[in-house]
Amino acid sequence: MDPRVLWTVVLMLAPFAGAASCVFLGRSPAGRRAVVLATGALLIAAALALLGEAPFRLEIPPGLRAPLGVCLTAADAALLAAFLYYGAKYRHAGILLLTLLQAAGLVVFKGVLTRSAAASGGIVVDGLACLMVLVVSIVGALICFQALPYMDNHERHYGVSPSRQPRFFGVMLLFLGAMNGFVLFHDLSFLYAFFELTTLCSFLLIGHDRTHVAVRNALRALWMNSLGGVAFVLGMIEAFRSSGTLDLAGALAAPRLEGDATYFVALALLGIACLVKSAQFPFQGWLLGAMVAPTPVSALLHSSTMVKIGVYFLLRLAPGFPGSFLGQALALAGSFGFLAAAGLAVGQSNGKKVLAYSTISNLGLMFACIGVNTGSALLAATLLLAFHAVLKAMLFLSVGAIEQHIESRDIEDMRGLYTAMPLTALITLAGVVMMIFPPFGVLLGKWMAIEAVARHLPAVVMIALGSALTVLYWARWAGTLLSDPLGGRFHAERQPVLTWLALGSLGLGGAALSVAAPWIVERGLAPIWHPAYGTAYAVVAGGLESATGSFAVLPLSLAAACGLALSAFALHRAFRARRVPPYLSGLQTGEGASFRGPLQQAVRVAARNYYLDRIFGEDRLNPWVNLGGAILLTLILGGVL
Amino acid sequence: MRALRRFIDRMRAKSPWLLHFDCGSCNGCDIEILACLTPLYDVERFGIVHLGNPLHADLLLTSGTVNPRNRKVLANLYAQMPAPKVVVAVGACGLSGGVFRDAYNVVGGIDRVIPVDVYVPGCPPRPEAIIDGVVLGLQKLAGGGRGGR
Amino acid sequence: MSFGALHGLGGLAGGLLVGFLAAGLDRILTARLQSRIGPPLLQPVYDVVKLLGKEALIVNAWQAFCACTTLLTAALAWLLFVLQSDLLLVFFVQAVGAVFLVVGALASGSPYSHIGAHRELLQMLAYEPLLVLVFIGMYLETGSFRLEVLFAWPRPLLWRMPFLFLVLAFALGIKMRKSPFDLSACHHAHQELVRGVLTDYSGPLLALTEIAHAFEVALMLGFFTLFWPGWGVGRFLLPVAVWAFVIGVDNATARSNWRWMLGTAWGLGLGLAIVNLVWIGQG
Repeated sequence: MDPRVLWTVVLMLAPFAGAASCVFLGRSPAGRRAVVLATGALLIAAALALLGEAPFRLEIPPGLRAPLGVCLTAADAALLAAFLYYGAKYRHAGILLLTLLQAAGLVVFKGVLTRSAAASGGIVVDGLACLMVLVVSIVGALICFQALPYMDNHERHYGVSPSRQPRFFGVMLLFLGAMNGFVLFHDLSFLYAFFELTTLCSFLLIGHDRTHVAVRNALRALWMNSLGGVAFVLGMIEAFRSSGTLDLAGALAAPRLEGDATYFVALALLGIACLVKSAQFPFQGWLLGAMVAPTPVSALLHSSTMVKIGVYFLLRLAPGFPGSFLGQALALAGSFGFLAAAGLAVGQSNGKKVLAYSTISNLGLMFACIGVNTGSALLAATLLLAFHAVLKAMLFLSVGAIEQHIESRDIEDMRGLYTAMPLTALITLAGVVMMIFPPFGVLLGKWMAIEAVARHLPAVVMIALGSALTVLYWARWAGTLLSDPLGGRFHAERQPVLTWLALGSLGLGGAALSVAAPWIVERGLAPIWHPAYGTAYAVVAGGLESATGSFAVLPLSLAAACGLALSAFALHRAFRARRVPPYLSGLQTGEGASFRGPLQQAVRVAARNYYLDRIFGEDRLNPWVNLGGAILLTLILGGVL
Repeated sequence: MRALRRFIDRMRAKSPWLLHFDCGSCNGCDIEILACLTPLYDVERFGIVHLGNPLHADLLLTSGTVNPRNRKVLANLYAQMPAPKVVVAVGACGLSGGVFRDAYNVVGGIDRVIPVDVYVPGCPPRPEAIIDGVVLGLQKLAGGGRGGR
Repeated sequence: MSFGALHGLGGLAGGLLVGFLAAGLDRILTARLQSRIGPPLLQPVYDVVKLLGKEALIVNAWQAFCACTTLLTAALAWLLFVLQSDLLLVFFVQAVGAVFLVVGALASGSPYSHIGAHRELLQMLAYEPLLVLVFIGMYLETGSFRLEVLFAWPRPLLWRMPFLFLVLAFALGIKMRKSPFDLSACHHAHQELVRGVLTDYSGPLLALTEIAHAFEVALMLGFFTLFWPGWGVGRFLLPVAVWAFVIGVDNATARSNWRWMLGTAWGLGLGLAIVNLVWIGQG
């Protein structure tokens, strides 16, 4: 068998097979563990093997087209039926209405427009698809590994019996399959089915704990994403009307008449579906609500993979709208999302919410780059996508480990975490450092983004403001992790092996990828955009150079390594120096940060971080950011109509 | 190595940062101490900076009697100063407890709690006398001060 | 030793000299304005050497890590500036130092240190967007973020970006922690909150942060040299003039609160910057 076909099929079918066997074998912990580990390992291997084979394109054999088409229609029907079932079960009119709209759109599409159930299009494995497959399969598998010990703890803590883990892991693996399918297929009708499947998985996973809040937030995610589904169906119809094909590349390349708006309407509608999936304003609510789910779910769906669907799909569409008004509007919407989410993150003390807003913020930056739509901007978006996925997954998993240890996800409760769980605190700190500092990948992406967006004045102003806010909320968190009381010697805490495996490989992987970033850009990412946009960056002396600037990645990495060694030496020396209590006006008792108060009583010092909630609180900002998001949404739609 | 050490010692004498702590003074001495900072006396000529934080200070300038309530504070402040450090007691009360030394609530002079290097007598001492005392303290600082190197 | 290494070492020494001279002159100028004589010119150097020779008192060992990182990155940012790297890169590297200073301050349990740290963060929030927009303006005018291009630019940027020059001066005041923006810590004898963000750095660690600050000031002053072409007097007169202006304002104003600072920076500063950017973009 052709290895290309083999690995592609493995990537798409292994998760489904894993999901099915989870339901049957998952009753016993050992069986569950074996299924998840085996599926994950297979996915990682297949993704790496696929990287070696890329790029290539597979056509669906003619004999398979009709049966596949029937399967697809059946899958669409089943998914919509499931949405209707949940809509009816929880008496949610919005979900029912939106699902019926989608169903009507699909009937029109399949029955009237295309008039054939056969599948067209094919599977395209190019650089972008490979990147996404790697992110989904490797990061996703690592998250599933960490979920194994996490869910055991979770169920023990909440006293869940009988275990609901078979269903949980089944849906998690199903989700990985849906993601790989979405990324590999190039046919809009397939994309729609996988798009809806991710919506369903996210609904099931958010509502997994079945608490009142979980169900409410899961329903919110379902109706918002159904809105995205409606936009997708309409966009698909318009795309077919404009080009007469469902193949993505074909639809983008099809000749179009002067003054025909259908094409841009289709792009705008699909773009809105992307904005919904990526939780951009005003659709941020579903992602924030999703934070009630167990943390691996947050890591898998809402940071590293599912929200990336929007970015990935818009990147696919990007060659369709360079220099258009749609691009301008998307750049505005994206940079607005970057700024607004960064501002909202400043007002949060809940660690997971900070991560959620930071995700929205970073996705906004990617959207801004895609909207600007030059070679360097798209390259920046691609780079950000990859690094953000790795680091955000790592940060979410760290917060998950912390949460199970200290039973809180509030940043204020992470004060002095270094004493309680030093290694996890250090890993979290490393994650924060890699999110905002040079020479690491995310900042490299941000550097490229600012260079690329510099001529788009409103966007660059918002990005400048948003960057400052970003530094504020990360720095505050990093400082809190290291704060007093500080224990003496370093003793790594005990955590399950799989947790260390996931955290360690993501952290080390993120650092290694950062060092290798210039070559990744040159060999891996630049060729994606080269044919249409030309090459914007060259590797010179281990750094990236463009016509307008240079970023010396390798020299700076070496400098960072030397600096780290020096600072670590200073730390080592400091552990042996004379220790004094912090300055407390001479009233310190000498035991930790407490002072001698009235009647000679020891009073513990309490200092809280600034969250500036009078300015950046959700109550204060939400109406405005939602209004802003809605205005920009009408701008996107109004501009093309 | 020795040259470096001598160099640093000279810098110590050129950059004394002082912490002023009023134990239980009538404020007479404190007014005179603050007068040293005014344009007339301008102790910043000698690099002297008046601080509020023992962690940054080289020289502890204290006035007033020690009483049971503030003796712990005095000791705490002294403990939080990095070596080498010098203590200058200013005024009759700081030296010995002054006229209050027999009062029921008075422990006595500064040296009942922490070691004092320079005593500046007076009730209150004139700014010139205080500056003189501090400069004497600087010589001790250049010679190594307290708490070793 | 190669020319590049010599250039780098010379640059580092020059940065220290500029930073310390600026601090020393500041103290003398301020003393004269108060009809005092003031300390010797090299007083900041004496202070730092003395601090380096003091006992290392540790409140939280991570502060040593943070102070060291602050110094190294401040020096690296200055070095990148001297070696004429990328303007945005210089900005990002200097931000690392600023953040680690705050992280170290937050690591202490003292509320004084905490308040100082948060005020420092607010100061960063105020000046960072301004700096980025100034750099964007330079890019729009010259078409490059490379310092070698900017240094070799033949026409005075000052005439094309006068408002951005003012905005940069605004940022300099905040970065130098001068009144009315001396919220997080200040250099003079008048102190409040027992020196804010620096409260719990002691002895050698304080010395490291002081040296880092010298590099930061040198870097900020260095940005002003980009506004004038050639290597004559004009190029170096600009930073001196702005510096004197900031010191004058420092002596003439009282400390503001952070709301006022943030409001002015994000209102007035941003407004001026945008007006100037629009007009560069049109020209």
